Amino acid sequence: MDFLLSYLSLAAIYVMLGLSTNLLVGIVGIFSVSQAAVFGVGAYIVGHFLMAAEPMSFLAALAIGMLCCITLNILVTLPSLRVSGDYFVVTSFGIQLLATAVFTNWTAGTGGASGMPGIPPPDVFGYQLQSSWQLMALCMAGMALACLCFWLVMRAPFGRLLRAIREDERAVAAAGKSVLRAKVSAAALAGAFAGLAGGLYATFLSFIDPSSFDLDASILLLTMVVVGGARTLAGSIVGPFLLLALPQILTLLDIPTIFAATARQLIYGTLLIAFMLFRPQGLLGERL
Amino acid sequence: MILLQLLINGLVTGCALGVVAISFALVYSTTKIFHVAHAGVYTLAGYIAWLLVSHAVPEVVALAAAVLVCAGAGAVIQHQLYARLERRGAPHLVVLIASLGLLAVMQNIIAAVFSPNILQFPVLWANRTLALDGVALTYAQLLTVLICLAAYGGVMWFAHYTTLGKRIRAVASNPFLAQITRLQPNTVYVYVVAIASAIVALPGVLVPLDLGLQPYGGITPLLTATIAMIAGGVGSISGAFVLSIAIAELQNLSLLAIPGEWSIGITFFIFVIFMLFRPTGLFSAAR
Repeated sequence: MDFLLSYLSLAAIYVMLGLSTNLLVGIVGIFSVSQAAVFGVGAYIVGHFLMAAEPMSFLAALAIGMLCCITLNILVTLPSLRVSGDYFVVTSFGIQLLATAVFTNWTAGTGGASGMPGIPPPDVFGYQLQSSWQLMALCMAGMALACLCFWLVMRAPFGRLLRAIREDERAVAAAGKSVLRAKVSAAALAGAFAGLAGGLYATFLSFIDPSSFDLDASILLLTMVVVGGARTLAGSIVGPFLLLALPQILTLLDIPTIFAATARQLIYGTLLIAFMLFRPQGLLGERL
Repeated sequence: MILLQLLINGLVTGCALGVVAISFALVYSTTKIFHVAHAGVYTLAGYIAWLLVSHAVPEVVALAAAVLVCAGAGAVIQHQLYARLERRGAPHLVVLIASLGLLAVMQNIIAAVFSPNILQFPVLWANRTLALDGVALTYAQLLTVLICLAAYGGVMWFAHYTTLGKRIRAVASNPFLAQITRLQPNTVYVYVVAIASAIVALPGVLVPLDLGLQPYGGITPLLTATIAMIAGGVGSISGAFVLSIAIAELQNLSLLAIPGEWSIGITFFIFVIFMLFRPTGLFSAAR
């Protein structure tokens, strides 16, 4: 039972990350492999404030984490807005590698490669959440909030503006809309989702280390969006639930533990190629 | 003396990076594909050579075999993946995601077949040092500089004085015009990716000869090389090569003040500076 609850909680967290990636990659059409870095920043900041000498309440720490992620995601997007989309690929890879370097080498702030253990469980308005049921409910609440947010944005004129930017940036600019402002707002929203996920992840696992936030993690997020289906809410929900079940299936097959990570990444890569070749819209998405 | 040593190390890394950068620039300026999987080809080259050398094949033969295998791999990638996507009218983003997927597949197959850990080449002469006036240079590093400079010269000659080279430049500058004058862009693309993969095999073998092999080690050099390409100006082969050396020198000189694990930060800082002040690069062709 605990196993199922932890699966549901993790999947809920990854749905928020999926939404974050989907917003950038699917809706606005910005290729991003740095969402795991933003996710990590959120997790470390929340972890840091909860473990400070005078611990903050969870919601306050979460708010700070989300603000930092919003700022970071905007900063990541800004330099590349001046030039063509391919340069964003470089920015994105760069931010991801840089973040991994910071998480691993800044031992004083992040605990380095050995990670940050003993993050206390979250509290909501003074009430301590302890059991896995309560934690799952919190993650699900976060997921519901993020989904609602995504759904409302997509229904609003702003959602149509974002889709239009992907189709034709110049036409949007010619219609008198500010492409820059729209992209920055989308980046901010994506950052908020990633920060929310980061804070929940840190308190849910009570231990974080750089391996959860590296380039492989970003590729996993991209795979989730691609498999579930880009550009739709349903796609971002289905993808994480399916792909998080995959490691469990792999444990049934008799693969030596040192190759487990390799096998997972191999499958993610294969899925990316196969879906791009044969079903670019994913299971429940629209055509990329 | 440490300064001179750092400058020499920078030159070695820079020449190797330069060849990665010109091979990537060749693909990017012709096919317009941001070929992320190039990092996988780079890694593959080293492992092919390592496999052959550890079965007592002469080093020269191993290098040649790695170049050939990579050329074949490049042709297959273009013909089976990119061309297929192109025929389906896939947008840029889809090609990019497929390329990233391919990179993940290549790296992890290599990690599963060989080992996820660092492998050293069983070649004794490579680490023998030439000591000149207090500055040490291994034979592997010397060979890297010589072969990479030769490769740079070779690419320049190839692009400007051979029929295929001219055809590639024609397709790069205007694919539509090339199509109607029967230069067959789609065939040219296969050649280009094959040639670029063959070229990238050179640093792919030579750098690990000195530093060892790692299945996930291709991304950082590729990222640095793409930054050099952008900073040098897309479409300028010499720009990419020169900027690679400049970036490698800066990285090495920064070691005097900043520990080595932050060198990715230095590289990225250079990129952001360029993005802010000269997004078209230093030597960009007028267009």
